Amino acid sequence: MRAVLRWEFADLRAHRGQAALMVLVTAVITVSLILANALLQNAGNPWQRTFGQSNGAHLWLHVRPGVDTAPLARLDGVAAVAGPYRTAPSTLVRSAEKVPLELRAVGPALPKVSRPLMRSGRWLDPSVSNGVVLESSFARSMWAAAGDSVTVRGLDGATHTMRVLGVADTADQGAYPNWTPGLGWVLPSTLGRIEPDPSHTAQTVGLRLRDPATTDFTAQQAVTALGSDQVTMVSTWQQVRSSMNLDNRLLGLLLAVFGLVALLAAALAVAGAAGSRVLAQVRDIAMLKAVGFTPAQLVRMFLYEHSALAVVGIVLGTAAASGIGPLLPSPLGEAMTFWQAQPDHLGALLATGVGAVLTIALATALPAWRAGRVPAVPTVRADRPVRRMSLLARLALLLRLPPALVLGARDAFYRPLRAGLTIARLAIPMLMITVALGSWATLDGFRDHPERVGLAATLTAKPSGIDAASASRLLSRQAGVAAAYPGVELQALVPGQTTTITVRGLGTVARPYPFALAEGRGIQDTDEAVAGQGALDQMHVKVGQWVRVMTGGTPRILHIVGRSIEPDHNGEMLSVGMEALEGPVGLPQPQYYALVLRPGASPSGVRAGLLAASHNQLDVQLTTNPADQLGAVRGVVIGLVVVLALIGLAELVTATGSGLRDHIRDLAVLRAMGLTPRQVTAVIVTSTSLLTTVAVLAGTAVGVLVSDRLINLQGHASGVGAGIAQMPPLGTLLLAGTIAVVVAACVSVVPAARATRARVTTALSQF
Amino acid sequence: MSRPGPSPASTAPEQAMLQVKDLVKAYRADGATSWAVRHVDLRVDRGEFVAIMGPSGAGKSTLLHLLGGLDRPDSGQIWLDGRRVDDLPESRWAVLRRRSIGFVFQFSNLVSNMTAADNVELPALLAGTPPRQARERREELLTELGLEHKARSTPAALSGGEQQRVALARALINEPSLLLADEPTGSLDSRNTRDVLRLLSRCHERGQTILLVTHDARVASTADRVISLFDGEIADDSAVSLPANGGGTVADVVQLKG
Repeated sequence: MRAVLRWEFADLRAHRGQAALMVLVTAVITVSLILANALLQNAGNPWQRTFGQSNGAHLWLHVRPGVDTAPLARLDGVAAVAGPYRTAPSTLVRSAEKVPLELRAVGPALPKVSRPLMRSGRWLDPSVSNGVVLESSFARSMWAAAGDSVTVRGLDGATHTMRVLGVADTADQGAYPNWTPGLGWVLPSTLGRIEPDPSHTAQTVGLRLRDPATTDFTAQQAVTALGSDQVTMVSTWQQVRSSMNLDNRLLGLLLAVFGLVALLAAALAVAGAAGSRVLAQVRDIAMLKAVGFTPAQLVRMFLYEHSALAVVGIVLGTAAASGIGPLLPSPLGEAMTFWQAQPDHLGALLATGVGAVLTIALATALPAWRAGRVPAVPTVRADRPVRRMSLLARLALLLRLPPALVLGARDAFYRPLRAGLTIARLAIPMLMITVALGSWATLDGFRDHPERVGLAATLTAKPSGIDAASASRLLSRQAGVAAAYPGVELQALVPGQTTTITVRGLGTVARPYPFALAEGRGIQDTDEAVAGQGALDQMHVKVGQWVRVMTGGTPRILHIVGRSIEPDHNGEMLSVGMEALEGPVGLPQPQYYALVLRPGASPSGVRAGLLAASHNQLDVQLTTNPADQLGAVRGVVIGLVVVLALIGLAELVTATGSGLRDHIRDLAVLRAMGLTPRQVTAVIVTSTSLLTTVAVLAGTAVGVLVSDRLINLQGHASGVGAGIAQMPPLGTLLLAGTIAVVVAACVSVVPAARATRARVTTALSQF
Repeated sequence: MSRPGPSPASTAPEQAMLQVKDLVKAYRADGATSWAVRHVDLRVDRGEFVAIMGPSGAGKSTLLHLLGGLDRPDSGQIWLDGRRVDDLPESRWAVLRRRSIGFVFQFSNLVSNMTAADNVELPALLAGTPPRQARERREELLTELGLEHKARSTPAALSGGEQQRVALARALINEPSLLLADEPTGSLDSRNTRDVLRLLSRCHERGQTILLVTHDARVASTADRVISLFDGEIADDSAVSLPANGGGTVADVVQLKG
């Protein structure tokens, strides 16, 4: 064992640069895997925890007032019922901002099913008649805490000052603002004061099921039992969970995919480096055998060395992730802090580490086995088949191209199989870098061309206290506004389906809203609609099909003529012209206006102008851009590009080393024939640069294809829909490729210079 | 052609250090067979210093490799210290080498990444010698070879002669009963050759058995016995007669003849 250690220390000393690079790469990969783990855990856990602790309900139904909900308790599979609770829509007013808030009337005793979990303050108290308990994500978003006062406005326009008694977690609905409206619990008497008209209230019932898998079936039964015209909205625990977790899960998945691919790329790099080391040390290995090393000892030696490097990298990476992770900006920092508090996090850390070490060990296994098989008597290499100079090479010499260039090109591809492997190994990091750049470009697309991803309107304006006509007039007069499209959103039940989707009337048939269409065409008639991917998936339909939806008790048959890209509401959005929602009393009143601004107009300037012109009777909001929430992705992309570049560098070192070893004798012969040292260096640099160029071209080409597919797949899965992927700009790709080739040339200069310095006779006598 | 050799230097030939029976090794390339070792019978007694001579391609190195277990014979038997070893698996051979056989080659004798000191200590550590003892033994050997100041040098920083002396120190650190040297002076000048030979003769005096491959007659003359190999067969096997005044050292021989 001491002898093995002695050799390993000597070997590490001789290859300290390469060893340090591998440690660094493994450490960074470990950090990315741990962060991915934390994000994914964090993505699933808050809902799970809250749902479990609050004895949550799996299914929530919003029912018209006065409907008897007693039959729901008798449905098969229903274990317990929460409610029915009376609810009333209201608005929370904060300076110029008006935020929708649903008030839910609950008694002074905490309910048994779906019990709000108090995070601060206390529960409702009959002695405080204006008390309200706010849902925690909503309270956080409103900067409201227990003890604060808030202003709530009812539908009748009257304002009430309420006292925030407490803040509570719930699994009844997703986190604000992903899930709107916000939720506040009040006493029934308080609700009666804010909304005196019972016809404006609704009922909410939560059903806790024996088997969560029967949610969809129970939802259908519940809608049938109450009558589909009586149910205004259905939501399930799956919807709540996905809305709570969307952002972190996306980021977590991104990190996990990159982390795993980077680990594989690193494993390949280690395998390549170890294999090349074995080939380079054939004589040393033979010597070790001569002094008494057994083949098994040699195999272990190589395995131990690379596994030890992996372990050092993983320990460093784990320490870095655990120490610095919680200090990172949100959501990474939050996720790490939360994850570290989990009891199973040490197990997950260990599993990540062991997995990474095993991967590296497995990658080293083949080269290590080859080390054990090296003959104890160093055999003279069989002469390679001498191939004639290719036509291209002869042509190049005829054209008087520099001989170093021609010889370098010949060297690079002299052994086609080895050249192919080198190209493949170098191409993988480049491929992943291209995918990373594609993600970056897609985020840029969201920011720079929001109209292409369904975010044509920069602002939304909601009339609050003025009628639609005056609002429309105000908007048309405002400088900077190119167009204002009236909009209304209704919840619709799809017959045979278990959940509600949002039907949005936006723009008119005559003046349609500029939807970002990925498939089909725009709306041209009153019975035509465009749907987001989420809605299509939910209804199990495709573009071109007809669907029947139920809005406000009115059945409507719509022809889906196109698919729009919908970054909001998981894409569960069916859009029609306002005329399509015409009821017996005419066109519906617009709930809001989507404002498309003139190029160059400042959204905040237009917003300020509208607020002033309307005397705060228009509630103007900036459209949320998912790219803003995914800001952390950019940091991740930069980090990954760095890791991949490091892996690429490690591969380059290996490729140069093995290329040089293959040709060192030829180079000695060339020098003996009269090539100058500079020409010899040029031969080696040309050879490495050529292989890198081919790898860069191949990696980039495949990367562009893969990136497009992957991003669109992610878009499809998240409901936004395929068609969001942007190709990385040609300039960026060219720059990345050029950097790779230049680095390759630089990396090969050092060993090339060393080969040039070696004495010709020494080089020749080695074989 | 081959015959068991006489053993002039041995006084108690009850058990041979090394005995070889009908050893055959052939290489096949491009359909043609070339015989490296052909039906060789050989007996080397304990404490004998045997030189194997012959022209290039005569099979000298191959025979040495076969005797040290670095290569496998096609047929024949090898007995080492009374034990049959030709059928041992590679790992057993490795253990045998680290305890009983020292090797010195003509070129690339040292593990390139390790210092001279590490190179010398490696076989000792491998054989389970405690590190302190290995270090003391290495210091002793390097001092004896005049290399004490080169202990921390890497092979690349050593001259050919120095490398060869370090290799010899490494081969000797476990005090093997058999030393196999493949042209250890092949790439050395006369001064270094003399140093190496002086060391070999010192080992011989201590009772170690030495098999030395060389094609230099002057070097061969330092041995007790010279075996000539030709086309893989033993062509001649005879004792070396020392100059009439006798009692001269190996170095004297080299000086006299060189």
